[in-house]
Amino acid sequence: MKKIIIGDHIRKTFGEGQEKHTVLKDVSVEMNEGEFVAIMGPSGSGKSTLMYALSGMDSIDAGTVSFDGMELSAMSEQSLAELRRTKMGFVFQQPTLLKNLNILDNIILPSMRNHRTSVDNIKKKARALMKKVGISELEKRDITQVSGGQLQRAGICRALISNPQILFGDEPTGALNSKSAQEIMDIIAEINAQGTAVLLVTHDPKIAARTDRVLFMRDGEIVNDLHFNRSTDTSIDVKIEKLMVAMRKIGV
Amino acid sequence: MYYKIIRNDIAKSKLISLTTMIFVAVAAMLVALSAILVVNLSSALDTLMKQAKTPHFMQMHIGDIDTARLREFATQNSDVEDFQVLEFLNIDGAQIIIGNRSFASNVQDNGFSIQSEKFDYLLDLDGKIINATDGELYVPLRYMKENDIKVGDKATISGKPFTVAGFLRDSQMNSMLSSSKRFLISKNDYAAIQSSGRIEYLIEFRLQDLSSLSAFETAYATAGLEANGPTITYPLFKMLNALTDGLMIAIILVVSLFVVAIAFMCVRFTLLAKIEEDYREIGVMKAIGLPVADIKKIYLAKYAAIAAIGSIIGFILSLLLKGMLLENIRLYMGESGDSFFALLFGVCGIVFVFLAMLAYVNGVLKRFRKISAAEAIRFGISQQQKINTKRFCLSSNRLFNTNIFLGIKDVLARKKLYATMLIVLVMAAFIIIVPLNLYNTISSNNFIKYMGIGNYDMRIDVQQTENIANKTEQILDAIHHDSSIAKHTVLTTKTFKAKMEDGTEQNIKIELGDHSIFPIEYSTGRAPASQHEIALSALNADELKKKIGDSMTLIIAGKEQNFTISGIYSDITNGGKTAKAMFTDHSANIMWSVFCLKFSDKALIRDRMAAYASHFPYAKVSAIHDYVIQTFGSTIDAVGKASRTAIAVALFIAILVTMLFMKMLVAKDRYAIAVMKALGFTNADITVQYAARSLFVLIISIVIGTLLANTLGGLLAGAVISSFGASSFTFSVNPIAAYLLCPLLMACSVLLATILSTSGAGKIKISDNIKE
Repeated sequence: MKKIIIGDHIRKTFGEGQEKHTVLKDVSVEMNEGEFVAIMGPSGSGKSTLMYALSGMDSIDAGTVSFDGMELSAMSEQSLAELRRTKMGFVFQQPTLLKNLNILDNIILPSMRNHRTSVDNIKKKARALMKKVGISELEKRDITQVSGGQLQRAGICRALISNPQILFGDEPTGALNSKSAQEIMDIIAEINAQGTAVLLVTHDPKIAARTDRVLFMRDGEIVNDLHFNRSTDTSIDVKIEKLMVAMRKIGV
Repeated sequence: MYYKIIRNDIAKSKLISLTTMIFVAVAAMLVALSAILVVNLSSALDTLMKQAKTPHFMQMHIGDIDTARLREFATQNSDVEDFQVLEFLNIDGAQIIIGNRSFASNVQDNGFSIQSEKFDYLLDLDGKIINATDGELYVPLRYMKENDIKVGDKATISGKPFTVAGFLRDSQMNSMLSSSKRFLISKNDYAAIQSSGRIEYLIEFRLQDLSSLSAFETAYATAGLEANGPTITYPLFKMLNALTDGLMIAIILVVSLFVVAIAFMCVRFTLLAKIEEDYREIGVMKAIGLPVADIKKIYLAKYAAIAAIGSIIGFILSLLLKGMLLENIRLYMGESGDSFFALLFGVCGIVFVFLAMLAYVNGVLKRFRKISAAEAIRFGISQQQKINTKRFCLSSNRLFNTNIFLGIKDVLARKKLYATMLIVLVMAAFIIIVPLNLYNTISSNNFIKYMGIGNYDMRIDVQQTENIANKTEQILDAIHHDSSIAKHTVLTTKTFKAKMEDGTEQNIKIELGDHSIFPIEYSTGRAPASQHEIALSALNADELKKKIGDSMTLIIAGKEQNFTISGIYSDITNGGKTAKAMFTDHSANIMWSVFCLKFSDKALIRDRMAAYASHFPYAKVSAIHDYVIQTFGSTIDAVGKASRTAIAVALFIAILVTMLFMKMLVAKDRYAIAVMKALGFTNADITVQYAARSLFVLIISIVIGTLLANTLGGLLAGAVISSFGASSFTFSVNPIAAYLLCPLLMACSVLLATILSTSGAGKIKISDNIKE
């Protein structure tokens, strides 16, 4: 299987002098194409920082990160931006839509940056995505006129508009009620099933249980790398049970 | 607690706090200066008019005078406190030479007087009554600077030598706007030169009580006494004296209003941004039960601190600068006695700026009342902001590049926020374009047409000589044989009697000839086109109370003839009282004649000037260009300097305010910028978006600013221009400068300011702003 991300001895510190705090301590991690991975761990364990480092949105102090064979630290600001625009999709805890634009405009925004395809094709694609996540009727709405769950769906459409190789999610269901959260996870699982790799940060075992593999972090280190067995770990309850055991073992 | 909040807040936004403070300081300084100047001006003026004992009523008269009858009237009238008749010996400018300079081209009526015995004294620079001894000449203050005259300079008046002994303050004729100037000489010298000029009489009265002035005026008019010249009263003297400095004070006030407005805009902008930033906190404070007044205080306190410091700095600056601006008032009117009162008034001005600032901040903070606590806490932004995302959609945008679209869209979506920047840039455009158009107008060749002079190259004046008619014929003959002349006309001026409505007669000088060859600009109407039409200068029309279409009666060769007024024009020549007609007359004597010539090749002017001057020594040959330079040169220079200063100031304001706004916007939009970057927009994209915002606002500003400049600005400039003679005018605009170069200059400045101030956007880290 081809590796989409290889993180090698990543080190990241915040602050200076006395207040210096190492958030990632020599972390190495790899992720395959099409893989569905969650990062779990208590607050402050470095899980979000790891995800931002792996996506190139945050710089690192030591080590390397390569994405699809390219080393991120060697890339210019422009190439990194292009990478984010064409090969990566991002979903955040808050929907992060721009309030000047309506829902449809927000969704097509990344592919409008340098649209090589015609606007009509981009719109067609956006409408198909909106239909898929169930927000077809909202395209002309302002972002203040729809619910949080609907906004997050719009956020997912935006992340997928450029057919990314990987979707990064920083607690994408964190601000939603459990029904909406499950619906969003259904959508993400479907995207993954179609071949897009997914890397999620989450607190919630129920969310993590939807993935193939869970990285447990504590104090800036990966302390457990749990792979679910596709043939035996078929039900969510079994997967949650496994997760709980692992969490107890590492003391979280 | 407030101190801590204020200190932290100011430290956090140093640039914006400093800028706001600078604008407040400048505004406070200007307001204080104008307050100080107003008090000084009125006080110095009062002092001058008291020391000089300015007449309350003055009637000018030329010709026979019955002094006994006037004295009789004065003793009979119980309102009169004192009465006198002074002589004003009007001498042609060509007969006055001071230093090495002739007053030939001087446009004022220059007269010589002896010191008055009872009132209307001519004062020295210490406010003392001057006693001129034989050979001494005291020169009107106005000429000291204008003609660069020094004490000790040699002077020749009608051939008699004098020495400049000093300068005089004349409470009647000090002003640039007054068309006559009085020189003071001794009685003996006066007697010696008396025959070389024409005597005008100043019939002057002081009244017991100024409030009976209008009753006295009526009494004088009904008594049928000497009155063939203008009548001037005390209030008019006062106004004439105050006008020049008053105009300066008015300009300072207008500028200070602009600066106050800009300061307000800065405050509004920062405050709105701050409220938006603190929306959630404000909601929380409301939710936990803090009264709105208390929340307001936190914000008010910061601006009170900024306004207070700014006002104090402004006051100190005004004290440092006032000496410079008071120089003129001190020179022409003397010291004012009320310096304490002036200072007090200045402080009042400062307090006014301070309070206005607080009231304004308070007004902006009114929106606190509207903030719903629940909404603020839940959403963190105002839900009332109706953002119109419907009309201008990215999905239907085919016109603009996405970055430019996003820039324009942001401006349209947050109009209120950008309104501030818009207003400031409109003002900047206005400040650039109005002085530029004004400069262009008065420096253009056509401007003299507004001043009663046609657009020709050279003029030959034949005056103050014998047998003018013959000499005119000689010159005309030479002109007819001169092939270098493209166009010419000869205008002869004669005096006629005009019959007034009350049956009295008044002398009027009329310039006869073809006025269509070198046309001038008429305020209203047009040049006389038939034998029965006449055009009047604005001053004459005012005095004779005539409008376009009215008729007037002239006595020509002993017969009454009716004329229709065809046009009214501004004129600065011959004291402004002229008339133009084209009828032929052989009855009256020619007072002077003027040849107006235009050459086929302008390079010939100097050469031909010399030729005509040597050929006709009795004629005065002058190039119009020289005339313009002499009369308006300093004004054109001053306006040009003012225009360049205005451009620099406006560009500075535009750059400063743009930088300020853009810096604030970047800080405010951190989150949106981080999102954009996460979506794959580069730093260059973000810069283009911000540049699109400021350029879009700038384009609208320039359009509005230009429209305002051509309407409101035209009126303002008209006021300035009319103060030196032209009663109506239209801007002559240089389209390349006004509509291309200046907008381009502004665009470059604003663009540069935007790029410089949005460079911070590149440093915004995605993870710092999005990561939960």
